[in-house]
Amino acid sequence: MSSDDLFAAEEQVIAAAQELLDKGALHDKADGKLYQELLKDYQKLFRTTRRLMKLSDRNEQQLNALSQEQRRANEIIATKNKELEALSKKLSKYLSPQIYHSIFTGAQNVEIASNRKKLTIFFSDVVNFTETTDKLESEDLTHLLNRYLTEMSNIALEHGATIDKYIGDAIMVFFGDPESKGVKEDARACVRMAIAMLRRMRELHAEWQELGAVKPFHLRIGIDTGYVTVGNFGSDDRMDYTIIGSVVNLTARLQSFAEIDGILLGHETYSLVKDEVAVEEREPIKVKGFAEPIRCYKVLGLYDDLADEGMVIREEADGFKFLLDLQKRDRAEAIAALESILARLKE
Amino acid sequence: MGDKLNIEATSRTPAVLFDFAHHHLKIAGESYPEDVTEFYGPVFIALDNYLNTIGKTSCRFDFELIYLNSSSAKAIMMVMDKLEAAAKKGAAVEVYWYYDNEDDTMQELGEEFGEDLESAKFHLEKMTA
Repeated sequence: MSSDDLFAAEEQVIAAAQELLDKGALHDKADGKLYQELLKDYQKLFRTTRRLMKLSDRNEQQLNALSQEQRRANEIIATKNKELEALSKKLSKYLSPQIYHSIFTGAQNVEIASNRKKLTIFFSDVVNFTETTDKLESEDLTHLLNRYLTEMSNIALEHGATIDKYIGDAIMVFFGDPESKGVKEDARACVRMAIAMLRRMRELHAEWQELGAVKPFHLRIGIDTGYVTVGNFGSDDRMDYTIIGSVVNLTARLQSFAEIDGILLGHETYSLVKDEVAVEEREPIKVKGFAEPIRCYKVLGLYDDLADEGMVIREEADGFKFLLDLQKRDRAEAIAALESILARLKE
Repeated sequence: MGDKLNIEATSRTPAVLFDFAHHHLKIAGESYPEDVTEFYGPVFIALDNYLNTIGKTSCRFDFELIYLNSSSAKAIMMVMDKLEAAAKKGAAVEVYWYYDNEDDTMQELGEEFGEDLESAKFHLEKMTA
C-alpha cells in the first residue's frame, strides 16, 4: 500500500469538499467562506499529518539502521577486545604483574614521569654463570635458565616483589612500589623472599643433579633499602619502569660481596629487619662513589626458623625480649647469666 | 523584550540565537527535547513578542537543523506559521532552510515547509562546512 492509498479517504473528503465549493453548492456566502477556510485548515492539517508521519518513519528507519550499525560495531569491538586481551596477556609477560595491573587499571600513566620513594632493592646473580654453563648445549642452557628464572620469579611474586628486570642470569626486584606495606614490612618481605629463594635453590640442586646437570647454580644476593627515583625512564616510544639511585648501585655491589649462597644486607635494611632476622656483621666494604666504607650484614636466617632448628632460643612479649644464640654462646655461660638475672628479679 | 534570546545547544535541544536588534533569528542543531512544549514555549513567546512589533521591517530566520523528532517538527511548523502570518501583515520575512548535503530527509522537509509559505520568502540552501 502506498502512502497515497493510506490517505485515500482524506483525499476523497478534500476532493468532495472542493467539488461542493466549485459547484457553488453553499448558497450562503458567509457559510461558503467559512467552509472554504475550514477546508484550507483541513488541507493544512492533512499535510502536517503526512509530513510528521513521513518524518517519523524516516527517523525510525535511521534508528534501525543505526541500531544495526551499532550491533555490527559491537561485534567488531568484541572481536577487537578479544584480540587486545590476548595481546595484552602476551605483553603482560614482559612486565611485572604489579606494573601491568597498575597500567591496565589506569592507576598509573604510561608517560615519562618519576617520583622519590624509599624502597628495598634486591639483586641476585648466579656465581660463575658462564663457567657453569659453557659446556651446556644452547637448548639445555635455555631450559635451565628459564626454569631457574621461573622458579625465582614465582617466589618473588609470592612475596609481593616488583620484578624490575632480568639481566641474563641476574635478577633485580624491589619492594615498596607500586604497592607498599610500609618500609619495614617491605624490607622484611624482601629478606624472607631471599631466604625462600636460597631454600628453593637447594631443592632445585637435587632435582637438577638427578637430571644430570653437572654444576648446579649457586647465588649471591644483595639487599639494601633507601630512597630511589622510581618511574618510567626512556623515550616516549620505548620506556622502562625502573628505579635509579645510588642505593641501587650499592645493592648491586653488596651482591657481588656476598658469600656463595649467601645474602648480604646493607645497614638500612638490617635496621629494619633485625628483630626478625639473625645476622652477622661483616667487615665494611669499600664501594666506588661512597666516601665511607659501607657497613654490611650476612644473613644467618630468620629467628623463627633458627629457633625451630634449636640454634637460638627466642622469647618476645611486650616489654620483654630474650634472644640466645646458641652458636655464639656456650650453654653453661648462658645458664649462669640467666641465673644471675633470676636472682636480681627475685630481690 | 530584550535585544536577544540566546539558548545554548544541548545534546537534545538546538541552539536558539535570536538577535532582535539586528532582525536575525536562528535555530541550529538537533531537536528531540524530552518536553517539547517546555523547550519551545519560551521561544514562541519571544518570537510572538518580536513579530508583533516589527511591522513592515525586514527580518531573517535561519534554520540549521540536523535532526528533528516529530514533536519538534510540529513546533517548527508553528514557527513557520508565525513567520508566514507576520509576512502576510507586511513584514519582509526571509526564511533560510539549511540542510546537510547528504541528508535527504531534512532537504525534503525544507522543500515541503517552503511550499506552505506564500508571503514569506523561502530559501533552501546546502550547509557549508
